[in-house]
Amino acid sequence: MFLITVLYLVFLAAPILLLLLGSFGDSWSNTLLPQGFTWRWYLEIAGDPSFRRAFITSLQVVVATCALNVIVGLPLAYAIHSAAHRGVRFAARLAALMPVAAPELVLAFGFILVFSSDTLPWLGSFWLLVAAHLVLTLPYSVTTLLADMEQLRLGDFENVAASLGAGFLQRARDVTVPLLGASLTSSLLTVAALSIGEFQISNLISGFLSRTYPVTLLQAFYGATGFACAATVVLLVLAALASVASSLTARVTGGKAS
Amino acid sequence: MLQLDNVSFWYPGAAVGVSDVSLEVRPGELVAVIGASGSGKTTLLNLLAGFLAPRQGRVVIDENDVSAMPPEKRDLGIVFQSYGLFPHMKAWENVAYPLKIRGVTAPERKKRAYEALVRVGMGNRSENGPRELSGGQQQRVALARALVFEPRGMLLDEPLSALDANLRVEMRDEILRVQRAAGIATLLVTHDQEEALSIADRVAVMRDGRLVQVAPPRELYDAPADEETARFVGEANLWRGSVVSSGKVKTPVGVLTCDTRGYRHGANVIVLVRPENVMPLIASSEKAPNAFAGSVEADRFLGSTRRLDLRVGDGSIRVETRIRNAIDRVTITPEAIRLLTPTNERQ
Repeated sequence: MFLITVLYLVFLAAPILLLLLGSFGDSWSNTLLPQGFTWRWYLEIAGDPSFRRAFITSLQVVVATCALNVIVGLPLAYAIHSAAHRGVRFAARLAALMPVAAPELVLAFGFILVFSSDTLPWLGSFWLLVAAHLVLTLPYSVTTLLADMEQLRLGDFENVAASLGAGFLQRARDVTVPLLGASLTSSLLTVAALSIGEFQISNLISGFLSRTYPVTLLQAFYGATGFACAATVVLLVLAALASVASSLTARVTGGKAS
Repeated sequence: MLQLDNVSFWYPGAAVGVSDVSLEVRPGELVAVIGASGSGKTTLLNLLAGFLAPRQGRVVIDENDVSAMPPEKRDLGIVFQSYGLFPHMKAWENVAYPLKIRGVTAPERKKRAYEALVRVGMGNRSENGPRELSGGQQQRVALARALVFEPRGMLLDEPLSALDANLRVEMRDEILRVQRAAGIATLLVTHDQEEALSIADRVAVMRDGRLVQVAPPRELYDAPADEETARFVGEANLWRGSVVSSGKVKTPVGVLTCDTRGYRHGANVIVLVRPENVMPLIASSEKAPNAFAGSVEADRFLGSTRRLDLRVGDGSIRVETRIRNAIDRVTITPEAIRLLTPTNERQ
């Protein structure tokens, strides 16, 4: 059992380690490990205009996707949570979770079909990319928020606040949002991690000027190995940071509810 | 004054709810609503609070029809079963919250919140968060919060059910003291009949969504409306019987002498005798009315009292006594016997 676990961990970690090694290796061809040490690949990435643009686009997409997740996801989760009718709750939950079940390729084809027409010619635009990321990430934020709303017994606290005289907006300001703060942060970091690493849909619907980092990364593999490794490590670090922060805030939320 | 006028409510697709309930809680009065789970008592509280809107009838607070008014406009202090203290606010901030909503200035609301906490004995814990407080302390803070804004009425939803037995008695007295000091109309919903009998001015018994009886505790105990109420409120000997002649009722334990006025010869009745009104006869030669001899079926030691079941004839008599001697004969004074009309024969 122990051996299997170790082998599994090695299997998981090996590609990441090799990428790290490769990104600092001066040359890597026909050898098991790269030769020499260099910062060159990172400097090249930083100096490459297409990578810089893609990096900035990715950050912009992440910020916009997170913002839209708050604007759309929070009210949606709240509406599902407070829907009196069980059937409505179920249907809303199903609709919100659907993008997880549908393959990304199918979603991308849908986007291409609808938004390449003359009536809606938005394929390749920044905001369509953000919309696609929103569709993909919304299920995660809504599910996290819904679970926390139930765990925190938000409905009970809202009733308490109402009985003390607080109207809808006052309840949202003083009770709902403060109670959900940690949960919201945690779900947004998950959204950020997903959005940063998203490739399939972005590759199919982004335009030449709205390419995200992972899409541009694909091109790096046609060049030098060290360059490709360094470009991948940048993405890995970003995604890892978001995941770690998300886990940490999730722990805070879990602690709060107990 | 809190008032329900012929209020009915039913949940979609469910049989439970309340049906044609009329009840009023006068200023300064504490009315307890008791009933088994599913009897509709919490629905009644939710209708008064505004979390549910009646499908028929009216909810009236201080002579204003509030049936369509949302909870935040009703000005009622509610203490919830789970207390519902906001976890992100300190004790005093919780108490000050209704004042904040009402636009009271920050220094003034802190002062008033502190005073309210002092009144419930929590002045020294005002800076603590809810997680740092025990169940009883949270209860006190919730009570202070429900009263700090001088509401028109107070609703208590099973406020003691989460506390352990000793603390429950202490908090019961505390609630009564605070309610009396505030002189506020209060509705207490509970499944604990002892709690209801001990602090309420009047007790309302609910069953299957209907109000069966509303009466002061003593009257409810001594003269319950029917067999089920008698069984629900306190311990009871309940025997099916029939009037065999004027002043005589035949029961499974034997013929009892009692007041049969209002019942014709041959009428079916339910005979109610509270166990503490069954007196043991120690001297076997003692003459007494309604004396019965039997064998002890069960003998339970309850500390200050002792509860016995005595097998007599085809039935059994439950006795509650402080006497610790062996008991095989008991007597029931005719005045302690109450006749009830069986539920299926009521008009």
